[in-house]
Amino acid sequence: MDATKPLRNIAREILSRDDVACLIGYEKGSYGFRVAPCVLKDPDQADRLVFSPLCVHNLTNYLTLENIGPLAQKDGDADKIAIVVKACDSRALAVLMAEKGIDREKVVVIGVCSSGVVDLKKLEKRFPNAVENTEVVRRNGAFSVMYQGETVEVPAEELLSAKCMRCKNRLPVVYDELVGEPDEAPGDEFADVRESEARSVEEKFEKWHSELEKCIRCYACRNICPLCYCSDCALDRLNPQLIRRSVNYQENLLFHMTRAFHLAGRCIDCGECERVCPQDIPLMELNRKLAKDVKELYDYEPGVDPEAKALFATFRPEDPDEGIM
Amino acid sequence: MKFEPTIVAFLCNWCTYAGADLAGTSRFQYPANVRIVRVMCSSRINPAFIVNAFLEGADGVLVSGCHPGECHYINGNFMARRRFVLLKRFLEHLGIHPDRFKMSWVSASEAGKWTEVVKDITDAVKILGPNKIKREQVWMQQSL
Repeated sequence: MDATKPLRNIAREILSRDDVACLIGYEKGSYGFRVAPCVLKDPDQADRLVFSPLCVHNLTNYLTLENIGPLAQKDGDADKIAIVVKACDSRALAVLMAEKGIDREKVVVIGVCSSGVVDLKKLEKRFPNAVENTEVVRRNGAFSVMYQGETVEVPAEELLSAKCMRCKNRLPVVYDELVGEPDEAPGDEFADVRESEARSVEEKFEKWHSELEKCIRCYACRNICPLCYCSDCALDRLNPQLIRRSVNYQENLLFHMTRAFHLAGRCIDCGECERVCPQDIPLMELNRKLAKDVKELYDYEPGVDPEAKALFATFRPEDPDEGIM
Repeated sequence: MKFEPTIVAFLCNWCTYAGADLAGTSRFQYPANVRIVRVMCSSRINPAFIVNAFLEGADGVLVSGCHPGECHYINGNFMARRRFVLLKRFLEHLGIHPDRFKMSWVSASEAGKWTEVVKDITDAVKILGPNKIKREQVWMQQSL
């Protein structure tokens, strides 16, 4: 199914509305398999939009960045922002709405039913040095990749990103317009978390020691996260200074522990932090562990209900007393 | 030399701190390894404090507050419970042994329970040995 055409039609319609300032979507990137986020203001620009398995970004990040970049120049009554979301991105919207981080009235949500995006790292490993802008199309169980003038069919499992292989729901949680129809989601059993839980504490220590030592503290994982939108971030503060500026295992541990814990019961598994990490640290393993425990201990799942209260803002008297004397 | 662990304890002002005080005035004997930080409520404790205590050289960290339902601030300890039960599992995932971090409910009259809790964590940490995630400069200060 090609979502690009119906998406363009809907976008054209929305952009010609008086109350919509701009539309955030995906356009063709500059080279290789790149697809870039774009901000459109004019109905004529709608033909720039694309939607393919290469649209990996979670655009909801831009909604909380509205005061910088091209989104800042909003005029008068046109104060709504339209945004293209996949199912996982819409869960971020649901959390943002539940936390009153965004005003639902100010957002026009175009939900696109995606049957999974590719993992760019896997794709570029298999098809290296793609210079010309190429395309990837999903055809049933396979991706057809245009590479150096040829079309190559690759089974979906070989390129699909990990988050899509454990997707819980392919239908966006919140949307005003829907493009396409959702196919069945594979469901999430937290098999990967169970596997890492089976290791001994020493093995876990060794693993995370070597992983966190690699971190260069570029803060990309925090900046890309659609749910890390506090204007005054605990990771930046100097007074009180929770985390020192030195880059070593100890401070990195504190940094990543704090970052992941602030996302406990909020992370919606969009995998952006891991995607942008220049050092390939498996950050989702931290978030996933917390997600599993939150589900197990408190039967709480973020991004399902836009009305739900935050995990740490509520309690039940019968919450487990695990390990408490 | 025998290993003597350092335990940092974050105690709520209204219950456990008073309980520890009572243990003192009642002349109960308990390990002197524990260093107490008084906070107004167990829910005041940021998870980063716990990891920071480990980085600063604590071999074990204890968080203690009022029994559920007895919080001076009505529901602070319920909030703290959610946070720290989850944190304990998370620290284990990062390679910090779960015995190094403990949470307990000790009321102002439970001096006996306080001594038990301190003995319990001290013994557990003694078996585990020194903490491996100290900040490097802390190591340097100790070797001087």
